[in-house]
Amino acid sequence: MKTKCMTASATIDSANTTVELLKVSKLLTTGVLKPVDLTIQAGQLWILSGISGTGKSQLLKAIADLIPHTGQAWLNGQAQADVCAEQWRQQVMYFAAETAWWLDTIMEHFVQTPSSQQLEALGLEQSILQKHPDSCSSGEKQRLALLRGLAFNPKVLLLDEITANLDPESTLKVEIFLQHYIQTPLSQSEQTSSALQNKGAARAILWISHDVQQHQRLAHPELQLVLNK
Amino acid sequence: MILISYWDLLTLSFLVFLLGGVLWLNGFSQVKQLWWATLRMAAQLLFMGVWLSWVFYAENVLWVVLVGLVMLSAAGYEISKRQQYRLNKFHGVWIGLLALSFTSLMLLIGVLVFVIQPEPWYQPQYLIPLLGMLLGNSMTSIGVGLDTLTRSAVQLKAKIEAQLALGKTAKQSMQFIKEQSLHAAMIPVINMLVAAGIISLPGMMTGQILAGADPAEAVKYQIMIMLLIATSTGLGTLIAIEIASRRLFDDRQRLQLDVLSKA
Repeated sequence: MKTKCMTASATIDSANTTVELLKVSKLLTTGVLKPVDLTIQAGQLWILSGISGTGKSQLLKAIADLIPHTGQAWLNGQAQADVCAEQWRQQVMYFAAETAWWLDTIMEHFVQTPSSQQLEALGLEQSILQKHPDSCSSGEKQRLALLRGLAFNPKVLLLDEITANLDPESTLKVEIFLQHYIQTPLSQSEQTSSALQNKGAARAILWISHDVQQHQRLAHPELQLVLNK
Repeated sequence: MILISYWDLLTLSFLVFLLGGVLWLNGFSQVKQLWWATLRMAAQLLFMGVWLSWVFYAENVLWVVLVGLVMLSAAGYEISKRQQYRLNKFHGVWIGLLALSFTSLMLLIGVLVFVIQPEPWYQPQYLIPLLGMLLGNSMTSIGVGLDTLTRSAVQLKAKIEAQLALGKTAKQSMQFIKEQSLHAAMIPVINMLVAAGIISLPGMMTGQILAGADPAEAVKYQIMIMLLIATSTGLGTLIAIEIASRRLFDDRQRLQLDVLSKA
C-alpha cells in the first residue's frame, strides 16, 4: 500500500500529447500465452478478440496495472512504473465484464452526478440513480458502470465485453456514445494546461468483443487484435 | 471460603460425559472434540494452579515474564488458528502477537504502574489474572475481526478490484470491508458491556465475592477491567486489521490474494 503520488514528477504530464497514446511492449501475465506488443493512437478504437482462455481479460487488467505482469506500458510516453498506480488506473481505465457495486445506492458510487444527456444517450432513466444496485438489471449496471468510470475522464478505456448483457438497441447506443467520447477533444480546462493546444482526439479504446458484427461496425480490420493459443 | 475437593470435580465431569452421549444421539458428530476440549481445559487449569502458586511464592520477575510470554504466544497462536484464510509470509501468529502486545500488554503495564500500584508493580497475583482476562477477550475479537477481513477480501474481490480500477487507493477500496470487520469484532464487546451487572455477573467480580471480598470493592475492579477490555479489544482489532489489509496489496496497490492460504 505504498504510494508514490507525493512526488510532483509522478503525475501524468498532459502537455506531452503525442499521437501515440498507449504503447505496450512485451507485456506478459498469467493466462496470457505470448508477450503482447501494441501501439494505440489517439482517436483509435481497437477490438480485441480470440477464443476463451487466451487471456484477453488478463491482458486488459495488466495494462490497467491491476495484476502483476512483466513488460512495460506507456501513456503519452510516460512509463507505467513512473506513475503512481491510482493515477495510472484513472487514465487507463478497466471496465469489467461483471460490474461490482459496494454501496447502497447507484448514486453513491459516482464522483459526480451524470448529466441527463449522458443517461438519455445510453437509454437510462434519471430515477435509476436512487436504486439499490441489486435491483438493477445487469445491462443497466453495465451502462451505469461505464458512466461511473467516465466521470474520471480516462484517456484509454479498456472494455471487457461491456455490451454482452445488452439488447441490440442499447448496444448501438453504447457504441455511438463511446465513439463520440474518444473523438471529443479534451475539455477546455485540460487544453489550457496543455502547451500544444491539441484540438484533435485525445482518447482511445481497447475493446474485448466476440460479436463479429460489432467488430465490423466499430473497427477497421487492421485495428483488430486477435489473441491465439 | 468453602473448599471443593477433586472428587467433587470428577463427579461433576460426569455431566459433560453424559452431555456428549445425548448430543451424539442427536446427530452431533464432534463429541470427541467436546470431551477432548473438556479434558484439555481441566489439565491446563490444574497445571496453571500448580504453576501459579509456585510463581506467586517465588516472586521472581523472570518467572512472571515467562508466564506472560507463554500466555501471549498461546493467544497469538489461537488467533491464527481460528482463521479460515491465513496470511502466508507475515504469519497470522505475528499479527496477533503484535496487536496483543501493543494493546493488552501496554495497557496492563500502564494500569499496574499508575493505577493499582502493587509492590513490586509486577506482583504476579495482580499481573497474571489481569493479563489473562485482557488476552482472552482481545484474542476473540482480534480473531473475529481478522477472519471477517480476510474472508470478505476473498468473497468480495470483485468489489475491491472495481474500486481499484476507478483509481481508488488500496486503503479506500478496503474501507467497506474494514467497517464490517470492526463491526463484527466490536458487537460482542458492546453486548458484554450492556449485559454486565444485569444479565451477567462477570467472572472476576464473582471470583472476588466468592473469595469473601466486599461486593462494592469487587465492582470497582470489575469496572476497571471492563474499561481495559473494551479499549484493548478495540485497539487490538484495529491494529490487526490494519496490518493484515496492508499485506493484501503489493507496492503497486494490486490486490494479491495469494498471500492467503485456506486453512
